[in-house]
Amino acid sequence: MNPEPVVRIESLTKRFDSTTALSGVDLTVGRGEIVVLLGLSGSGKSTLLRHIDALETPTSGSISVLGQNVPALRGRALRGLRSRVGFIFQQFELVGSLSVLENVLAGSLAGLRGPRLGLFSYSRAHKLRALGHLDRVGLLDRAYQRADTLSGGQQQRVAIARALMQDPEVLLADEPVASLDPESSSQVMSLIREIAADDGLTVLCSLHQVDLAIDWADRIVGLRHGEVVLDTTTSGLDKAQVMEIYGRVATSTAEIAALETGLLVAEPVA
Amino acid sequence: MSSVLDRPGGPSPVPDGGSETAADLQARAPRRPISPERICASLTLVAIAVIAVMSLIDLNISLASIGDSLGNAQNFFARVGGLRFPEAGELIELTVLTVGLVLTGTLLAAAISVPVAYLAASNTTPNHTLRGIARFIGVLTRAFPDVVLAMVFVLMFSLGTLPGILAIGIHSIGMISKMFADAIEQIDEGPRLAIRAAGGSRSQEFFAGVLPQVLPSWVATVLHRNDINLRGSVVLGYVGVAGLGLEMSHAFKSLNYGLGLGYALVLFLLCVAMEMISSAVRVAMLGEKEAGKGVFVRLFSRGRVRSGEAAVQKYASVEQALRRPWTAQRVRNTIAGWLAVLVVVGSVVVSDIVWEDLLTFWGKVPEVAAQFWPPDFGSYGFEVIGAAMIDTIRIALAATLITLVLSLVIGSLAARNVAPNRAIRDGFRLLLVIIRGIPELILAIVLIIITGLGPQAGTIALAIGGIGLLGKLIADSLEEVPRGPERALLATGASRMQMYAAATFPQGSRALIGHTFYMLDTNVRAATLLGIVGGGGVGYYLLNAGQGSNYPLVASIVIMILVTVLVVEGLAMWMRKVFR
Repeated sequence: MNPEPVVRIESLTKRFDSTTALSGVDLTVGRGEIVVLLGLSGSGKSTLLRHIDALETPTSGSISVLGQNVPALRGRALRGLRSRVGFIFQQFELVGSLSVLENVLAGSLAGLRGPRLGLFSYSRAHKLRALGHLDRVGLLDRAYQRADTLSGGQQQRVAIARALMQDPEVLLADEPVASLDPESSSQVMSLIREIAADDGLTVLCSLHQVDLAIDWADRIVGLRHGEVVLDTTTSGLDKAQVMEIYGRVATSTAEIAALETGLLVAEPVA
Repeated sequence: MSSVLDRPGGPSPVPDGGSETAADLQARAPRRPISPERICASLTLVAIAVIAVMSLIDLNISLASIGDSLGNAQNFFARVGGLRFPEAGELIELTVLTVGLVLTGTLLAAAISVPVAYLAASNTTPNHTLRGIARFIGVLTRAFPDVVLAMVFVLMFSLGTLPGILAIGIHSIGMISKMFADAIEQIDEGPRLAIRAAGGSRSQEFFAGVLPQVLPSWVATVLHRNDINLRGSVVLGYVGVAGLGLEMSHAFKSLNYGLGLGYALVLFLLCVAMEMISSAVRVAMLGEKEAGKGVFVRLFSRGRVRSGEAAVQKYASVEQALRRPWTAQRVRNTIAGWLAVLVVVGSVVVSDIVWEDLLTFWGKVPEVAAQFWPPDFGSYGFEVIGAAMIDTIRIALAATLITLVLSLVIGSLAARNVAPNRAIRDGFRLLLVIIRGIPELILAIVLIIITGLGPQAGTIALAIGGIGLLGKLIADSLEEVPRGPERALLATGASRMQMYAAATFPQGSRALIGHTFYMLDTNVRAATLLGIVGGGGVGYYLLNAGQGSNYPLVASIVIMILVTVLVVEGLAMWMRKVFR
């Protein structure tokens, strides 16, 4: 592992009112690693990702991302860190009534001063860069279409182009293909992998499909009830092994049923 | 769908390379598509904005001049000697009469609106032709200002309240039937379908499937319209409809400013009181959430029980269950129902209607109608009247522009997702509630009397009054936008202002265009009324022509107003369609 980790999390705990979303999570991710966070919905994957991009404040524990002490960041420094970390959402989160190009350009706002509205408010260089990223995700032809006229898979690729506008060093993806059909899913996942390899990005992606995770990632971190229950490289790993680990900790029939289908989706009935 | 992976040559690696790749990229990038209709609409918007700015300059509205005139207010009050009020008995009688006639008029409109809305709603209308007719009735009644109707009815009836009731009753059909129809279109179709499946008739479908679903929203609409009509009743007084407005206009005409301003204050308080009562009723009927969270709403909502939590009662036999138990809820509903009936009957009784007029007036219709035809500009000529109409449009545009600019700031800061913190949001929401309480026409009358300025004072009054409405609409529509894009931009490290400009505002902009045209529409109507109270524009000629029995001139002015209102409405529809 690299001497200087990109993400270093120590005994991170997060409580929302009475529920504990994360409890004592330790995680270290080195530069260029491709990590999948695996777990049922409600296991704390999203909360963990949001902490890395400084979108949540921890109840206790330490988070260091790209050498910065995340919980201590405020104002410009906080936005500076967020701009170095790209975030892909399950629901894409594009402005449907704006053009694809404007949505991509919005990814560069952190590096610009003041609010922007409309294509004319961005420089030619910015527009060229945005078009370049759109070309990279294969949607150059759609630059001037309204974002809500695109299919789900296309919208997610636009969201990836928007994240690329940040020139990120780390890419976080929160269930990026959970709302997509299988074909679009595989396109989006290969695209992320390809970009990560080309640009040397560190990637943390949450998923609930065990097969996909094993094929796609270098390393799998399994979460359950806000705790890390599995942390292993994928080389030589097969589905049965992962299932076995989850099987050992599975306590409810709903969990076991979910494991049998190979999908970690259902929230266990308490 | 084109696949990334199958793309010949694959995606180009790093985009910000040399100039060669940039040139190559430009060659392959699609051209920005040009939609002629969108460009036309954008140019129209720009043109309207430019005209509005020019109107603002021409009307010579500056804060300095208004400030100076307000400085005269002290002199004015010194000269007038403060406010004066009529005797308490007379005041109560006039207040009851005013409220009664406004309520009766609004209820009349509501009654007529039920069949109109049934025919106009896409899911209940029997066929396209009837739907078209019903919608046309809505547009037409909305376009006829209630003052004009009142002027006409004053001619046909002996003096009294009937002209006012009918004017309010007919003019309000436009808005009420539109909102009734919208409510019908939003119902859950399930219960209706179930009744049809059980073999119910069309009327059974309506009374058992549609009416229960729309009733709360219908009542809210009627109450809302009643507030608007009470504010409007002041101008009806200027054309001879009995009530507080008439007494106020008499006072001002006889230069008894102290008394006139006293009446204005009473009307203002009456409007505020009515607004409080109707929000309380809305809360009771709709629950707190739908009624909004105004200051008054909170006052009344404390401790209210939501429906549907009645205790389960055990019955010994089926016969026993025949008697419906008097739960607290049932007691409350029954009392409220009887109160409503009392208010309705009471308002009809106190408005002192001369019922014979309803029978005799048909005979006068042909005679009166003949007096209005053919329209003519009389001795003024088209130039004078046309110029006055343009003044009216200018006042409306200038007022809308001021309202829009101020509402964008106030409305944005009153939106939960834009305001930097809770205190600022609540502060600006409160400001909007306070402004909404000010009846703009009464404000205009008071400003015109005190400052002596005509169009300027009128414009300022409309502009301030509009903020209450437009600011609230803007705040609400900004709060309703999907929050995802804001979150996505927060994650990129964008600042608050950047999030607002790139995510919140673009998502709310379509609603903004719609609301602004609605404001312009309202202001064009209000600006024609301004002239009647001395605020300049075509209203002055309308009032003079009416009082001088110059009916052909009244007809031609009404036609000009109708055309203007319909043009604005058409523009609004076009804009909403283009900027989807």
